[in-house]
Amino acid sequence: MEILNQILLGTQIVFQPTNLLFCFLGVLMGTLVGVLPGLGPTAAIALLLPATFHTSPVAAIIMLAGIYYGAMYGGSTTSILVNIPGEAASVVTCLDGYQMALQGRAGPALGIAAFGSFIAGTISVLGLMLIAPPLAKFALSFGPPEYFSLMLVGIVILIYLASGSILKALMMAVFGLLVGTIGQDSISGTLRLTFGIRELYDGVGLIPAIMGLFGVSEVIVNVEKVIKSKVITAKAKNLLPSLKDWRDSFWAIIRGSVTGFFIGILPGPSSTISSFTSYAMEKKLSKHPEKFGTGMIAGVAGPESANNAATGGSLIPLLTLGIPANAVTALLLGAFMIHGVQPGPMLIPKHPDLFWGIIVSMYLGNVMLLALNLPLIGLWVQVLRVPYPILFPFILLFCLVGVFSLNFSQVEVALMIGFGVLGYLGRKFNFELAPLVLALVIGPMMENYLRLSLIISRGSAWIFIKRPISAILISITIALLFSSMIPGIGRRRRKLQERIERQK
Amino acid sequence: MGKPFNYDRLPAIFFLTVGISFSLYARSVEIGSWHHPGPGFLPFWAGLTLSAMAVALILRSYASKILEARPPFFPQKDSWKRVLATFLALIAYNLLLSPLGFGLTTFLFLTFLVKFIFPQTWRRTLLVAILGSVITRLLFINFLETQLPKGIFAF
Repeated sequence: MEILNQILLGTQIVFQPTNLLFCFLGVLMGTLVGVLPGLGPTAAIALLLPATFHTSPVAAIIMLAGIYYGAMYGGSTTSILVNIPGEAASVVTCLDGYQMALQGRAGPALGIAAFGSFIAGTISVLGLMLIAPPLAKFALSFGPPEYFSLMLVGIVILIYLASGSILKALMMAVFGLLVGTIGQDSISGTLRLTFGIRELYDGVGLIPAIMGLFGVSEVIVNVEKVIKSKVITAKAKNLLPSLKDWRDSFWAIIRGSVTGFFIGILPGPSSTISSFTSYAMEKKLSKHPEKFGTGMIAGVAGPESANNAATGGSLIPLLTLGIPANAVTALLLGAFMIHGVQPGPMLIPKHPDLFWGIIVSMYLGNVMLLALNLPLIGLWVQVLRVPYPILFPFILLFCLVGVFSLNFSQVEVALMIGFGVLGYLGRKFNFELAPLVLALVIGPMMENYLRLSLIISRGSAWIFIKRPISAILISITIALLFSSMIPGIGRRRRKLQERIERQK
Repeated sequence: MGKPFNYDRLPAIFFLTVGISFSLYARSVEIGSWHHPGPGFLPFWAGLTLSAMAVALILRSYASKILEARPPFFPQKDSWKRVLATFLALIAYNLLLSPLGFGLTTFLFLTFLVKFIFPQTWRRTLLVAILGSVITRLLFINFLETQLPKGIFAF
């Protein structure tokens, strides 16, 4: 009964005209960036964050979350019509989606992607609603050692799931921790590596860093070689899937949704991993695995549902523990903090309007997305016609203006360009960027929890082992790090990654 | 196609330098002890860890034979020119924004990138640059009321 009251509270919040408008703007922008190759949800959220400074925290988070799950919807359009994934989570949709388009079945492919995403979005919102409150209650018993161990295991899972070398991913994480130490030390007040630059007193800005690492560097990599593509426009009709299409894809949607949701809770690029996992699962369970890659509708329905469900799952660690699981939720954490709200176990008791408002907005956002995606496919196809040589200067311009308008600081723009260079080189040298971002965000928190734990225990590192929850988390960390060195597991991990790389 | 590129040694040297620098710097802000960790505690130990990992990466790069299979750094002969020009355009935008103002700087930025990165006709370039600078000015300054510099021409 209590849960119904909470949903009612959320509904009252969301149906306020401003919040409705921001929800709509969020999913619209999300679909747009999902459709456009070379601009992902991370860069889009970073770009639009300053625009939310003058709004209420609820409206801001509703819009930013809308961009996140909206991008998953939009990403399928480019995969199916142009064979270019709008964002990484839609890579596998290209395999069967584009084949369907070539056979004149772009309509049902787009349709099932939209319906699948809607069903998955709904399931993931339900999961979030049921799992988040008890988990938040449990997390109330956490102290500094538990939080430190939890963050450590979070970073290590991210590294373990990284697509390249574990050593390189670890190096990026440690580098992120070091960059995170720049600024004023929150315990002693000492300034560290600020060189008298005022903009660095509060630490290296998250938005310039993310815009540089994901926005600028992505464009620069694309500028090396122009993207040439042919858009299929004439055949994107008859969007409603037939009864047979539904029969072939219904269970794929359900399986994709459940898998995606649970993978979403894990740190890392969960949307991408969940779509690959769902595709592999559908192929394995199918009576005709050999036909995958030739236009099987289950190969579109499963992954598209999975990547949408993962967005709901990835909000769980953020909302209940205050720990971001990937770059997008790291930005959402930044957005919460800018608005003076600390996500974590106290979020639900302290700000029930915010929590339930977000939950209900996600459900409403999914309805809006269904309405946006099916009738407006024609419009999105037109957007795709903008050639990249015209599009990329505007992406860069939006990055520049977005960062400059944060604090009207040239230093922060210079930082963004610097991180752009770093991100570009990172991509060229096969260094994962996600561990760097996550470490940069949670690094200062980890440092505080580490130092507080050591002060509590009077310098004894045993405190991390003596407390049971912390001990379990540390054991998982050690097991993950060592398992990759065991020949059998290490080889299997490498093989899986090679397969993912090939499919990219 | 150029010579195969070593993907590990250069970044390892970069990270080694960063790690050592942080560890040395940490000594100037008090590392503290395990009982009372100071502000330099994490930079010191994390710097040392990064340096050790960088050394491991250098050693691994000598032991590994993967190098031969890697493609060259730039996919095309002229890629580097486009990459460098785009970065320079970003730096120039940052430097010119305050003195020239948003409208004019944006016009110049769009003209340069559209005309010289993947060369378009002058007609198309000017159309995109003029429309782009006017629309983004309306969007950012008039609609979103962002406090962007208007510069010497008040545009």
